[in-house]
Amino acid sequence: MSSATIKSTARYVVAIVTVAIFVFPIAWFALTSIKPISAIFNKDRVVVFDFKPTFDNYKVTVLGGRKSDSTKNSSILMGTSGDGAYDGRGSIMSSIIIATCSTILATVISLLAAYALSRLSFRGAQGYMHWILSQRFLPPVAIIIPLVFIFRDLGLRDTHLGIIIAHTLINIPIALLILKSFFDDVPIEVDQAAMIDGATRFQCFYMVVVPMIKGGIAATAVLCFIFSWTEFLLSLFLTNSIRTVPVKITTFVTSTGSEWGYISALGTAAIIPGFIFILLVQNHLVRGLTMGAIKD
Amino acid sequence: MTKRALPLRWLTSEHPLPWLFPVTSLLIVFGLYPVLYSLWLSFYKRNPATRKEKFMPSWNWEKLLSDERVWDAVQITFTYAFIALTLQLVLGLTIALILDSDKRGFGVLRALMTLPLVVPPAVTGMMFLLMYDSSFGVISNSLYSLGLLSPSTPILGTGSTALWGVIVADVWQWTPFMVLIMLAGLRALPREPFEAASIDGASSFQAFVFLTLPMMSKIIALAVLIRGIDLFRIFDYVKVMTDSGPGTATETLTAYAGTVYFKSANFPYASTVALATLILVLITASLFIKIFKVRF
Repeated sequence: MSSATIKSTARYVVAIVTVAIFVFPIAWFALTSIKPISAIFNKDRVVVFDFKPTFDNYKVTVLGGRKSDSTKNSSILMGTSGDGAYDGRGSIMSSIIIATCSTILATVISLLAAYALSRLSFRGAQGYMHWILSQRFLPPVAIIIPLVFIFRDLGLRDTHLGIIIAHTLINIPIALLILKSFFDDVPIEVDQAAMIDGATRFQCFYMVVVPMIKGGIAATAVLCFIFSWTEFLLSLFLTNSIRTVPVKITTFVTSTGSEWGYISALGTAAIIPGFIFILLVQNHLVRGLTMGAIKD
Repeated sequence: MTKRALPLRWLTSEHPLPWLFPVTSLLIVFGLYPVLYSLWLSFYKRNPATRKEKFMPSWNWEKLLSDERVWDAVQITFTYAFIALTLQLVLGLTIALILDSDKRGFGVLRALMTLPLVVPPAVTGMMFLLMYDSSFGVISNSLYSLGLLSPSTPILGTGSTALWGVIVADVWQWTPFMVLIMLAGLRALPREPFEAASIDGASSFQAFVFLTLPMMSKIIALAVLIRGIDLFRIFDYVKVMTDSGPGTATETLTAYAGTVYFKSANFPYASTVALATLILVLITASLFIKIFKVRF
């Protein structure tokens, strides 16, 4: 074998092993979700493949099956007793509504601001950019206490709209940063040509420049969706009855033990939409995350 | 004529105001106002017995400076952020270099590498709890059989290893984000300098040190800034995995703020601790921006 072949084979091996290490925790989690309780909680050894797969955990958490049906033959019983306590359907619905709406809101308003910061040179633009990014410095705990009070006064506490606003807020800085770098990549001559042809600034924005960075917008939207979908702290504090998926899953940890079957089932299901979205925009994401730092 | 036209000038799309208005107003109402509210709260002394609050501007801030738990938390936060950031940066850059290839199969590997990003951090915490479990956890049991760990010192239950346990989860989740940013940077590099270097007989290691690294320095600085800020704000992993324990071995500043909020309902002091986190992040980030001349 030539040294080039050895080198390229070695690179494949290293790459595959590295990726395998990072995929392993998710694979293990997914595997746990189809194990019967006796295999998960085996005190003598770690059960890897020698079990009879079951989809009971998904029936209960994702399809709304009754917990009592799936556990009545099991010798181990624990956790809270209510049949609906492990039904994740409402949470999935809430998470979809919240993530979708906050993604659209954050993307649209960041798009407007990013265009202005990229195209309309005005005094204080750099300072404004710093101010926007300093919003990302905020530890959520620093605003959560007043936010609870403000939301209560505005009637936004425990509403979908409330969390949509909160998630929009945390997504604006990164969305703005990425979108601005995409706008910066479009030559300013494009705008000038359109405006010579009689387009107003706004027409030039939505009819000419925005269509040119569609891929970048999609990548930004996916990042916003994922951050909203996975957000925990704000959702935990700002709601009582509406439970987003991550918050719902933590309620499966009870004083009598953790329901690992249900946790892993709902957890695995929660990963799927984000992964599909990220695959669809991967190339744009890899381009957009330079955030304008390579040019000039 | 000009006088009448003046206010209208703000409403045309040539002026930045209409473009920036939605983002700005949202950030003021739900970002800036809560911070000021927090600051206001921090000027009140809460009497735990009567649950009454009294205006005493310096009370909480003096308490903060003499509170040993705060200083411990600062130290833990810095340790956590420094170790996790170093690991993520080194691993992120290395893995990006390994995966940056157009050969068959690398596209799939890059896609799989993004999987950890779509897992909600709260769920990540649980994934690792499951694998760390001292009786049926796959990581714990593997370490037992290698003789690196004994069942009497569970990873998260032992003061000396608990922080590492949390860091591993953080590194697992966020190294892929670094990989994406670094891949974005690598892909945006111009080809010519590398061709010239290889003609001049430079080794690929020399090309990396003298070409790749300097050209990537801006994006590396930006990535360190974004991740560093997030690391200071770490909450989800600590909350889910150790709840600051054992004792206060993994109590970061935000976790401490959360504890004050939840367990003693001392909102003014919780606000003070949270604001201290914000101040710390602001100072560190500003220094970083100055030293490394990060521009957006």
